[in-house]
Amino acid sequence: MSTETVHTIIDDLGALLLFTMILIVAAAQIYRAIYAVAAQSLFIAIAGAVLATATGNVDLWVIAGVTLAVKAIVLPWVLHWVVQRMNVRREVEPVIPVGATLALAVLIVVVSFQLSASLGPVRQAITGNALPVGIALTLTGVLAMATQKTALTQMVGLFASENGIFFTAMSVTEGMPLIIEIGVILDVILAALVMTIMVLRVRSTVDADIADLDRLRG
Amino acid sequence: MAETLLWVLPLVPAATALLMLTTRDRRILSAIDVGGSTVLLALTLVLAREVTSGGPRSAGLLRVDDLGLVFLLLVAVLTLAVSIYTVGWLKQALAVGNMKSELLRSYFALVHAFVATMVVTILADNLGVLWIAMEGTTITSAVLIGYHGHQHGLEAAWKYIIVTTIGISFGLFGTVLIYAAAAAAGLQGGAGALSWSAIMKVAPTLDPGIVRIGFIFVMVGYGTKAGLAPMHLWLPDAHSQAPTPVSALLSGVLIKCALLGIIRFQTIAAAACGPAFPAGVLLVFGLISVVVATPFILAQHDLKRLLGYHSVEHVGIVALGLGFGGRIGTYAALLHVVNHGITKALAFFAAGKAIARYGSRDMRVIRGLLGVAPIGGTLLLLAALSLAGVPPFSIFVSELLVLRAGIGDSHWVAIAVFLAMVVVIFAGLLHHAGSMAFGEPAAAASREPESWSPLLGMMLLAGIMILLGLTIPASFDGLLRRATEIVR
Repeated sequence: MSTETVHTIIDDLGALLLFTMILIVAAAQIYRAIYAVAAQSLFIAIAGAVLATATGNVDLWVIAGVTLAVKAIVLPWVLHWVVQRMNVRREVEPVIPVGATLALAVLIVVVSFQLSASLGPVRQAITGNALPVGIALTLTGVLAMATQKTALTQMVGLFASENGIFFTAMSVTEGMPLIIEIGVILDVILAALVMTIMVLRVRSTVDADIADLDRLRG
Repeated sequence: MAETLLWVLPLVPAATALLMLTTRDRRILSAIDVGGSTVLLALTLVLAREVTSGGPRSAGLLRVDDLGLVFLLLVAVLTLAVSIYTVGWLKQALAVGNMKSELLRSYFALVHAFVATMVVTILADNLGVLWIAMEGTTITSAVLIGYHGHQHGLEAAWKYIIVTTIGISFGLFGTVLIYAAAAAAGLQGGAGALSWSAIMKVAPTLDPGIVRIGFIFVMVGYGTKAGLAPMHLWLPDAHSQAPTPVSALLSGVLIKCALLGIIRFQTIAAAACGPAFPAGVLLVFGLISVVVATPFILAQHDLKRLLGYHSVEHVGIVALGLGFGGRIGTYAALLHVVNHGITKALAFFAAGKAIARYGSRDMRVIRGLLGVAPIGGTLLLLAALSLAGVPPFSIFVSELLVLRAGIGDSHWVAIAVFLAMVVVIFAGLLHHAGSMAFGEPAAAASREPESWSPLLGMMLLAGIMILLGLTIPASFDGLLRRATEIVR
């Protein structure tokens, strides 16, 4: 593949990633947010495969495979299982209207592109528009977490936010070192495990959403 | 020798953690706990000797220099003090049902796993390993914070794990950006391009634009973990809900490990875009932390939350010291890291004993502590005096040095705000401490004799606290000076 083609593909995937992010922010049902984050992780895995073919870097194949297995299949499946097990009656509860959240998301995207356009020669070290897309995904993930008050949507926002980092990391020339990426993924799995246990534990003892508890103040 | 020690050091608490899983007997568990911590401290001292005589050592992804050594010594000393304190604390916690005997071994195993991850964050040369270990500390300590299993503990643990995980994912983004800058500057060789010592060699040639963005991401990320305002929201909850020995580790060393991460990136940013940029960012976060913590300290009734907010203030003071910079500012910041770690752990220990005695964390209920527990009450009073910044205790010395650095650099506005807040907190803290220590003890207060092991753990820390206030031993002074040269 020529450099031009790779740039185009990465930029197209970036657009798809931003689109899935909008779906997550605007999701009215927790299931939709989970499917959207699974799709997003799938696009990240595809981006990894494309970059692996283009650069001939074997490590990137491994990273793409692990991303596909862990973030596109296992974690969404776990979230899905938790939703069913908890028998959540409530839908997603936004703190501020979805329209306002979307407006903020658009603002974040614009600012991210402005910010990275101001950078000089270092942009060549990162393929295509992966840097602004990554920044935008990370910040929008935080936005999704801040504007919704259920434990599961906060976890979805967290995974989406991390996807942004993974996307930028694999687009840096040569990609991140394999051992580091594996360590990071391992941390993500462990954190998800601990969070899931906490959510289920609170649900079983006081029948409340852990993110909704607000006894600690002042 | 030293290279082997580098790998052995994190393995000691890891092996201790595994050993814990082999037994259920409380006495044996406590013996392994104290034994493992003693070995860790002994090996740390051996490593300190090696580094002092032979300079920084590295082995693969790990590296130790004088800067890391300051933090490593703090971790090892506090871990031992926590282990000694835990012996007596546990007996009491089991008696009142705060801890369950069937869960004890996993509690001890988690504590040592937590210590192991902190040791790795300090020894990590590779910035990726630094991040992985930092997230490791979040996972292990989140479980510990919710260990009592009641609703408040779980609420605090959830807030902690969500806020710090999202926070340090910003840190990862910052690390990726610095890596991209290093790759663009021609640094080759896989994992080597993330090595701090390798990046420092090419740091002046890095693109300042991307390093600036990267440093801000790192500052927000590791700053969340360090408890700098306005990212500190998890801190008072987590530090107040955790079991007391864990509170001491969280406040005493964990937030310091995050500060070490910030210092590593500060040196890179200072070399790439000039020292003024990272210093400015540190000053802003430091001032916000000191200002935000003050009203919460004054209005607080919960003893452990008070200490939590107090950590926010002191992390802010360290950030101010680093921001003022220069030889004095950096030296003061590093000294303050040690002083605050020792003093805050002592304060949490003494507070934990007082809370157990009165069955309440409300400072309006804790009255006349000196009457029912003369030694424990004295230690709490000493810790509070030191935290408030009264001479001749250690924190007074480092706060004075921070002030001196700011005046030398003519940061008049920052100095004025800092001084005003410190004076207000001084008054507030002395009021709280005085009303707890003196007066007529409540009838409900337990009058049983004080147990020896918590007292021994506290005396160890109090001894160091008073020693560092009166004089700084020449060997320790030399260590701090060499560490200062690395940052400056």
